[in-house]
Amino acid sequence: MVSACACLLLAALARPVTAQSLPTGPITTAGGRLTIGGEASASVSPSDEYYFDYSDYNYNLLRQVRADAAAVLRLGDRLALLGDIRVEGPVGEGPWTLRPYALFARIRPWPRRAFDVQAGLIPPVFGAFSRRAYGPYNPLIGFPLAYQYLTSLRPDALPASADDLLRMRGRGWLTRYPVGSLTADHGVPLVDGLHYQTGVEVHAGNNDPIEVSAALTAGSLSAPRVSGAGSGAQVSGRFSYRPVPSLVLGLSGARGVFLSRSVTDVLGAAAQQASNDQRALGFDAEYSHGHWLVRTEGVLSSWRIPALAAPFIDGPLRAFGIDVEGRYRIRPGLYAALRVDHLGFSRVAGSAGELPWDAPVRRIEAGGGYSLQRNILLKVAYQYNRRDSSYTRTSGLVSAQLLFWF
Amino acid sequence: MRRQLALLVPGVLLLLIGGARDSPGAAPAAATVRGRVEIRNPVASPEPRPGIGDLGVDPAYQPMDRRRAVVYLETAPQPAFEEGGEMRATMRQEHETFVPHVLAIRVGTVVDFPNADPFFHNVFSLSKTRPFDLGRYARGHSKAIRFDEPGIVRVFCDIHSHMSAFILVFAHRFFAVTDDQGRYRIDRVPPGTYTMTAWYEGVSQQSRTFTVLDEGGTVDVDFSLR
Repeated sequence: MVSACACLLLAALARPVTAQSLPTGPITTAGGRLTIGGEASASVSPSDEYYFDYSDYNYNLLRQVRADAAAVLRLGDRLALLGDIRVEGPVGEGPWTLRPYALFARIRPWPRRAFDVQAGLIPPVFGAFSRRAYGPYNPLIGFPLAYQYLTSLRPDALPASADDLLRMRGRGWLTRYPVGSLTADHGVPLVDGLHYQTGVEVHAGNNDPIEVSAALTAGSLSAPRVSGAGSGAQVSGRFSYRPVPSLVLGLSGARGVFLSRSVTDVLGAAAQQASNDQRALGFDAEYSHGHWLVRTEGVLSSWRIPALAAPFIDGPLRAFGIDVEGRYRIRPGLYAALRVDHLGFSRVAGSAGELPWDAPVRRIEAGGGYSLQRNILLKVAYQYNRRDSSYTRTSGLVSAQLLFWF
Repeated sequence: MRRQLALLVPGVLLLLIGGARDSPGAAPAAATVRGRVEIRNPVASPEPRPGIGDLGVDPAYQPMDRRRAVVYLETAPQPAFEEGGEMRATMRQEHETFVPHVLAIRVGTVVDFPNADPFFHNVFSLSKTRPFDLGRYARGHSKAIRFDEPGIVRVFCDIHSHMSAFILVFAHRFFAVTDDQGRYRIDRVPPGTYTMTAWYEGVSQQSRTFTVLDEGGTVDVDFSLR
């Protein structure tokens, strides 16, 4: 017997199911040799009048539009060419830029072994955040302070004395010094997570408990350079250990020439022979299980610059940034995230007393993301910043970001 | 490409057919429906996103043969909906792929998702039919989901964006996934006139009508999908 009820029940259960209309993965062509992926995002927030979220691009990371296309061209088992072109610009403030972000060759001398060499405009090996700065890998919209906040140091301009340096405390977005470039310009973060560097990198390991990377590049962590001509070299490395799938521990180190030739050329011979470098040590850890993901990363950076006039800048200028970040997936397509961040500085003695050479900063960012589609993500976050300068500055910023990737 | 796929459309026609079979007398013979689905333009296995920021080698990803279609009856005799029992299926995570890539199950089936890779996966779906998020778990562990509604469930991994799979949930048993030669076979189809659909990756589908006679036997229904 056929039951009409059963058919009616089925009528209720049956419904059209719509396939996703946007690409969910990269485009592959040329017989599988060329793969192209892309990402586009738009971030909006109120004006950041205290410049907490300005980047080395000199615009607010919470108010930007960005699109990039990344491609890998595989030329056999041993060689691949990788490139990334980006268009980005601030929302409603100034011009947009188009530039190659990465362009390098990946060489695998022994195809069966997890060892390769990358040469060209390559990604930084230091730390963990710079490889997940964008897209769905950053659960929030802002960046950790160590990778974004502009200190008052500049590679193209130099404070002659401790007073010159202390005068610029908390003004990293626009500093001016008497040596080198006299034009007011922005300072540098501890680690520039937004630029790649020209150089060579070797890497061993692939989803193995231990992975090791080392690189020789131009510039330094805070001031990477595309052109190696006339600038010093940087040696950097990273060691990661994964004792269990849920835990990754990383250690990083880097040492590179900080000041640019435009500054050292105007110094006397003695000053030219003085120390001029940035050294950094970093640690990172990631633990995940079930719907939880927790990360922490710390960067200790020191810059040694020539002491030119009294009161002298004694010893290296140190900064330490640390953040702890957590994400919890509440339900399919919806998560909440939180990051707590601190950036501190060593003290320098000036005419008026001893102070941290730049103003310490604290940041808390809380927010979440909702997947409108598998590869369309809407993020909303609230960020609280506090800068301990002679006139304490705080700001609370609400931001939103719409992100599409394939 | 926007496509709409109605997995199950109840058959008013089957009311008539089934009603005819309800009369006393010898039970009509059931037929085997078989055939081949030709896929003219197979969907390429998605490659991982270009790992620009990666420090080293490509992931241990193994592309899969994606020339598997699902063939099913748009309408089915009522007894087909009453057949039940404990149903279980498996979709593994292996070499950064879901195995099988296409899984066809009945409503009420519990699907296990064991992780066979030496690293984490995070299986999830945003489909309206059955949204779920299994979280991260390691090799040797498995989580299960029961599918109680008919429809299409697109499955992804939150960590490896190139991993995807389909689960097609049917309210009856008259469906099959093609083999590596594109062949399929559906047994015990009662006499009647049916519409059969071949579905492929959500990008192509085709329907054909056929009749199973009272004497049963074998019915061949072939498809050619663009």
